[in-house]
Amino acid sequence: MLSSDSAWVRWTTVLVSALLGAAVWEFGTRGLNPAVMSPFSDTVLRLAEMLRSGELGAGAAQSLGLFFTGLSAAVVTALPLGLLLARVRLLRVAFDDYIALVYAMPMVALIPFILSIFGLDFSAKALVVFLFCFFPILYNTVEGARSIDPELIEVARSFRSTEWDVWRDVMIPGAFPYAMTGVRQAIGRGLVGMVAAELFLSASGLGQLLMISARNFDTAGLFGVVLIITLLGAWLMAVGQALENRFTAWRGVKR
Amino acid sequence: MIREQANAAGQSFALAGGAPGPRAGHKSLWTRFAASTLLVKIAGGVFLLVVSEIAVRLLAPAYVSRPSGVFRVLPQTLTNPAVLSGAAITLGAVLQGSVVALVSGMVVGLLMGRIRLVDRLLRIYVDGLSAMPMVAIVPLLTIWFGFTSWARLATVIFAAFFPIAINMNSGARAVPQGYLEVARSCGASAWHTLFGVTLPASMPYLLSGIRLALGRALVGAVVAEFYVSVDGLGYFILFQTRTFHHNEAFVAVLLLALVAVGVDALINGIIRRYMPWYRAGERKR
Repeated sequence: MLSSDSAWVRWTTVLVSALLGAAVWEFGTRGLNPAVMSPFSDTVLRLAEMLRSGELGAGAAQSLGLFFTGLSAAVVTALPLGLLLARVRLLRVAFDDYIALVYAMPMVALIPFILSIFGLDFSAKALVVFLFCFFPILYNTVEGARSIDPELIEVARSFRSTEWDVWRDVMIPGAFPYAMTGVRQAIGRGLVGMVAAELFLSASGLGQLLMISARNFDTAGLFGVVLIITLLGAWLMAVGQALENRFTAWRGVKR
Repeated sequence: MIREQANAAGQSFALAGGAPGPRAGHKSLWTRFAASTLLVKIAGGVFLLVVSEIAVRLLAPAYVSRPSGVFRVLPQTLTNPAVLSGAAITLGAVLQGSVVALVSGMVVGLLMGRIRLVDRLLRIYVDGLSAMPMVAIVPLLTIWFGFTSWARLATVIFAAFFPIAINMNSGARAVPQGYLEVARSCGASAWHTLFGVTLPASMPYLLSGIRLALGRALVGAVVAEFYVSVDGLGYFILFQTRTFHHNEAFVAVLLLALVAVGVDALINGIIRRYMPWYRAGERKR
């Protein structure tokens, strides 16, 4: 990233490139069949209409509810489990390759199973988001806790730290930055899980809006929803990145 | 990555504390077991299999896949022509799409990395679209390409493009200034500086980008097959679960997992073999 730019230059750049993009979108698509490609102005009008009628707001709220349910469940379970695996070497050696396997696996492939076992209700969709989020956090926490210098634990031990002290002063601070990398990845994957769950399980939220507008060849509406999803995604990813940056300082000089 | 560190950990685990260390002179059976990384891993795998077998038997309906069921159908599913052709189709689409994404992503990333104006014009689009969950684009692609395999190819390209462009971009920025100065003072053309100096120098970044891209391309192909219902491994999974053949479907899931892990291992191997000095950024993203 070029960081030499001042804030003023950065914002002008964003503004100019956004305007150029809008202009290309607007004038490059005039005269095309509106069912195939809708110009920028139509998309904005349709977007405003959807916002006014409240369907977009309600859909986004529903989707975000689903997303945060799954994400927070994953954080609450994967973090302690990751630390436990990191602390108990035997457990870690026993399971880390399997965790890496599931971490690399395309989770979407499990959606049909969840559909046919758990049905269509909210908890099934939350389970999808949970599964998408769980393994990045677990994997990164274990990876991070492994990078804790064993000597630190030894020193803590020789100063008669209790097990609880070791956790509080060494394990948790040491693994936390990596866990945050996991959370950032989980946010990205969880968004995919959210939209996939809403498309492939019972339709709801933004996924449902996508599906309805695609079926009606309402391309302006479809673009509008995609735009909103993109903005939500960019915002959440930025939050994740900020979280990660906030804690990377803890990693110290080694990396 | 994991394995090599696990081995190292296996030798130094007395230091790690917590686990019972071989403090006494004579070694009990337990300490010898705990010191053998392979045995512990196998035991962990067996434990996971047994637990899932019991859990599924007790809690889930009979049609749900469980380890014993998957083992039983493994031979016949792996020789099932539908699985084989499905795997070939899906992987073919992933490969085709990734090649298109690789070429275009490389060009865009290189230009963004070396020419400031291009970076300024494109940055918000590349960053924004890469943050977008790619599933959301599939309905739009079905409008443009119909419910055909073209929609799948487009999804794969879309999914794979951004990791490559972004990594290529940061790689091109990370090229040491000295290389560029030498190229310049030797009178290298802009073309040569871009493809002869910058590109090779940012190879490790590109490779991590390719690894990410292939993973996402695989997800994209499966998602597209679910939505579009064109033949492939993803559609095989969808069809088999709908007809309550969960065991057969799970074999296909295992195949996908194998491909994903194989790609990771391949790229990591290439980086370790040909660029052993390169470590930083491997964890990034």
